[in-house]
This record gives sequence, structure tokens and C-alpha cells, in this order.
Amino acid sequence: MTDSPDKTAAPALTVQMNPMLRFVASPAGRALIALALVILLGVIFHADGAFFKIGTHRDALRQASVFGILACGMTLVIITGGIDLAVGSVLALAAVVFATFTIHWGWTAWLAVPLVVLLGASCGAISGSLTAWFRIQPFIATLAMMVFARGLAKIASGGMKVSTAVPNDDGTYSYIPVPGVFRLIDSRVGDVLESWCGAFSEYLLSRIGGWFGDGLAWVFDAVEWIYVNCGIAFVCANVSVVTVIFLFCVALAWLLLARHRWGRQLYAIGGNEEAARLSGVPVRRAKIMAYAAAGLLAGVAGICQAAQEQQGDPEAGMAYELSAIAIVVIGGTNLMGGRGGIGLTLIGTLTIGYLEKVLSINAVPEASRLMLTGVIIVLAVLTQKRRR
Amino acid sequence: MHGARSIVRFAFTIGMFFTLAGCCESEEKTPQAAPAGGQTSAAPKEVYTIGMSQCNLGEPWRVQMNKDVELAAEKHPNLEVVFKDAQNDTLKQRAHVEEFVSAGVDLLIISPKEAQPLTEPVAKAFQAGIPVIVLDRAVLGDQFTCFIGADNTKIGRAAGEWIAEQLGGAGRVVELKGLMTSIPGQDRHSGFREGIEGTDIEVIFEADMKWLESNARKEMESALARYDDIDMVYAHNDPGAHGAYLAAKAADRHEDIMFVGIDALPHEGIAYVIQDILDATFQYPTGGAEAIDVALRIFAGEEVPKHIVLGSRLFTKDNVADGGVAIE
Repeated sequence: MTDSPDKTAAPALTVQMNPMLRFVASPAGRALIALALVILLGVIFHADGAFFKIGTHRDALRQASVFGILACGMTLVIITGGIDLAVGSVLALAAVVFATFTIHWGWTAWLAVPLVVLLGASCGAISGSLTAWFRIQPFIATLAMMVFARGLAKIASGGMKVSTAVPNDDGTYSYIPVPGVFRLIDSRVGDVLESWCGAFSEYLLSRIGGWFGDGLAWVFDAVEWIYVNCGIAFVCANVSVVTVIFLFCVALAWLLLARHRWGRQLYAIGGNEEAARLSGVPVRRAKIMAYAAAGLLAGVAGICQAAQEQQGDPEAGMAYELSAIAIVVIGGTNLMGGRGGIGLTLIGTLTIGYLEKVLSINAVPEASRLMLTGVIIVLAVLTQKRRR
Repeated sequence: MHGARSIVRFAFTIGMFFTLAGCCESEEKTPQAAPAGGQTSAAPKEVYTIGMSQCNLGEPWRVQMNKDVELAAEKHPNLEVVFKDAQNDTLKQRAHVEEFVSAGVDLLIISPKEAQPLTEPVAKAFQAGIPVIVLDRAVLGDQFTCFIGADNTKIGRAAGEWIAEQLGGAGRVVELKGLMTSIPGQDRHSGFREGIEGTDIEVIFEADMKWLESNARKEMESALARYDDIDMVYAHNDPGAHGAYLAAKAADRHEDIMFVGIDALPHEGIAYVIQDILDATFQYPTGGAEAIDVALRIFAGEEVPKHIVLGSRLFTKDNVADGGVAIE
């Protein structure tokens, strides 16, 4: 390479520069630049050091999680070239129904969670079927579902927030404690791990005695020592359960989209629906499943929202679909379909989440906040604009 | 061909939409006795029909208002109330008023969405001889029988004074504001600032949470991250105060901070005070029960005042069981 004549000198240079350049020019690189800019903003305007506190980041991640879960589903739909405007309303419906099941009817979470998730998925499947079978434009079909689900949420809740104050027949209220599942979802990973593992080990030790029990106790102590002294406890104490749910959704959606045949089909549909159909992709089924997945994730987000608010609010999730779309687009997924990915959406979620947090800790007034958010969204998308 | 078909489908969808929306339009009760024309009710009638035009049932407070009207009316078998919900649409509410006039109700209660566009429809109803009670938000001019409403500035001032008293005249307060482009948000803010004027109360952090609990929690988390020493949270509504409490609880700082909200709905603010979540809540009365009282007086031919300003009540842990104390 070094002894090459002058004609090959230029290509050699580009070969050397390529990995770096290629990364910066790739969608992921550009999305990361946008995220880095927002974090730099936080480092500059750190609000008396609030930005450097661990709690700020824990909260930022937790607050972004509900939007992130919605955005995962939105990514699947947008990659097919569609859009799902119903996710915010389905979130509210799920929150209301979940609160009714667990607070008012006292159902166990093992029953309530699957049913609510299923409810979300069926809402998505309905709007998916409307676009796939009846060829209603996704914008219209999901707009209809958006209004319908909001109405259903209001009917299901009687127009009131479903909270721990339960109305009696005579107009008075009785008050019941917050269900355990709400507290579980709204806690931190460390608390959950410690209480579960503690209970589990105590149970085992109480059942197993003798030298084996002693050995087991020693192993548990060793595990605990590692947990406490190797920073795991610190990390776990600063990650919310909601964030873990979000990351789990990201991982699942990524697996399906990047590693499963169905994911390939979604890209094919978004690239060229007719070509996909002609090459044997089951377009209708794949599309319906994409919308169903978006609805399912909206159901999950609804459960997280209800747990964090300790109530089911039929007005919750208003305009969340717009935030979810903004996250997906800032990540770099193409609104026309066919290009994008969940990894990009994860970066987009962090970008929007941190942007909100930086504006919030600096107590920026609402009007300027809206304007700044608009400007920054445009800037972020502009960095995505030029493609190779 | 294909284009024509999708247009038909589109039109069909839109049609379905409006049909659905029409079904949802809440007419909770249909009057059993058909109203007898648009005559004014000088002679006692067997059944009086009252039309209640609510601007928006999306807010729990307005749901409570309708409930208060309903509960008060239920005690009087000679009253029949027809409810209509305008779903936050001014023109829809105007249509509702006109429908009530042509149906010839004996009295109209309206909680208008906004003053200017509804002034004329209300005036027309009034001129047609139907007594009109305006609830909560005003209309312009004097073409109505009676206005019943509460005073947000007064409530904000009372909250400010109570907070100053609780903190001994000095302390660090977080203010979580309602939508600051709305009149209640502005009044609850300016009243509060009047209430703490001249004290050493310092508002260290203020943010617009747009009446929403989830926003309040986010903003409070930022305040907690930024300030290690917060004495009190003043939120413009109870869900806001509850959201702030949840944020403080997650940071294990809820014991050091007092939380004050406004509205005192039975299932929100009062429930939170009973559950020891909020330290105080100030009632923003709906006036629903008072409206029925005034309606009965009008039917009995009595004179009623043109303006009725409702008082507020303060609920704290100590007095919530006794129904709170009135604020003068």
C-alpha cells in the first residue's frame, strides 16, 4: 500500500478513512451524533450539577420508557410503509382496563396482564385488518381506531380515572391499597431482585438442612457478596423495572425484525409491496401482525403507564403517538417504509428522552420548550436527511 | 375505477365515524314527560324539564359537576334533567343550547366552553323566556338569569396563605402549574403569589404540567434532582400534587416534603388526603347542587341574585372526616 504509485494513493486514503467515515455516514452513526449533541446540551446546561446525578439519568430512562415501548411497535409498522395513530388511545384503554381488573376487581396480575396485552393486540389486529383486507389507508384506519379506542376507554372507566378510590352505590367512596403489581412495575430492579432472591434463598434454606444446607448458605452468601461488591447492586438500584420492560421489548422487536423471516417480510413490504406479494410474501398476514404487535406493545405501555400513575386515566397517552413517530423518525427509520431498525429507535428514544430531561431540569418555560423541541427535531432529522 | 372505489370506501368510513360520534353524544336521560311548549313557568307544573349543557366530560371535575346536578335533582321527583356533552366543541355546545330552546325546556343550565361564541345562543334562550343558569365559566353581557362560579384567585391566595402559615413564613416551594394559557391556571398562580407576598417563601422551581399527573411527576423528578432541600409542593390540581408525591416517594424524600393540591374531588384530592398522600387540598366547588337549588327558587317564582360566588373548603388530615373547613 505504501509503495503504490500516485494513482492509487487517493483510494488508499479512503480505505484508511472508511470505517470512521462510514460509521458517521451510516444511519446509526448519525442518530448517535444527534444523541451526543443532546447529551452535550445537558453537560453544558447541567442545572447546578443536576445532570450529573445518577437519579437524573435513572428518571430520564424511566420517563422515556413508555414512549420507547410505543416507538418499538411504531417502528414495525413504519417499516411496512404504514403508520399507527392509535397507540396513544390503545395505551389509555389498556391502562383503564388494567386498573379496573387489578384495583377494582382485585384480579391477580397473572390474569390481568395477559388479558390486557391481548386486548391491545386485538385493537392493533383490527386496524391492521382494515388496512390489509379492506385496503383502507393506514392513516385513516388507525385514525378510526384512535377515536374508537379513546371512546371505549371512556366508556370502560365511566369517564373517571380508575383509581384506588372506589365509588360505592350511595355516592361515597371506599379506599383500597395500591395493588402489588403496580408497586412492582414502578420500583427499581434492585428492590425486586433483593426481595425475590432473599425470599427464595430463605425458603430453600428452611427446607434444606444438614451439610448441604450449610453449603448452600455459603453459596448464597458468596453470590450476595459479589452482588454487593462488584457494582451490580449499584446498577440494579438505579434501573427502573419499567426501563427493563422497555429494553426487553427492544430486544424482542430487534430479534423479530432483524433475525426472523417475518422481519424480512416487513422490510420487503415497505420496499415494494407489489414486488413482495409477487415474490411470495404473505403481505396481508405480515401486515396485520405488524399492527397487532404495535397494539400489543401499546398494551404493555398502558400497563406501565397505569403502574406509574397508580391509576387508569382514560385521558392518558394523548398525543403520545406523535412522540412515538418523532422518536422513530429521529432514529432514522424512513417514514416511506423499507428502511430502518429497532436499534435506531432505541437511540431515538434516548435522544428525545434526554432532550425532555435537559429542558425539564433547567425549568425551561413551556412555550420555549415546545419551540426548542421543534427546532431540535428538525435539526436531528436534517442530519439523517442525506443518505448514501 | 380503483380510485372511485376507494373514494366510496373513504366516504363510508367517514360516514361511520359520524354515526358513531352521534351515538356517543351523551343524552343520558330522555325526558319522560314531553315539555309543553316554550312558555315561561309562572304556574307550578308537575314536572320541570331542565336542560344541562356541559362543555366537556373529559375532565373528572366536570363529570363530578354533572353528578352533583344529578344527585341534587334526584331528591326532587318533579325535576327531570337532560344532559348533553359538547365534547369540548363550541359549535356543538351552541347547537345543544338551540336544541334545548326548541325542545322548550323549563330551565337551562350551561357550563360554557368559552364566553364569546356562546353569549348569543344563551341570550336567545334567555329572551325566549327560558331562565338560564351559567355555571363556572361566564358569558358576556347580562342576558342570563344567574351566574354561579368559584374564584380561583381567592383559592390560590388561600393556598398561599396556608402554605406560608405552615412553613412559618419561610421555606422553599415547588410550584407545579396547570396549563398557563388557561384562566384557572393563571388565577391559581397569581392568587398564590399574592398569598405568599411579603413572606420569605421562595418558589425555587416552577413548571407547567398542563394539569396532567404524568407531567407533574416528570417535572417533580427534575426539581428533586436539582434541589436537595424542598419544603412544600404547591400543585394547581390534585393529580399534579399526587404525581409530585409519587416522584418524591420514588426518591424516598416524601417524608420531608408537604404536598398541597386544589379541586378536592371525592375520588381524587379528598381520597389522597385520607390516604395521607396530600397534606391539604382546597376545594374548587362544581356548583352543581347550588344550580339545582337556584333552579327550584326560580320555579317557585323567587328572586335570585345575578352572581353567586361559591366558597371554598380546606381539607386536611385533621378535618377531612368532618368535611373540611370553609374558607371565608
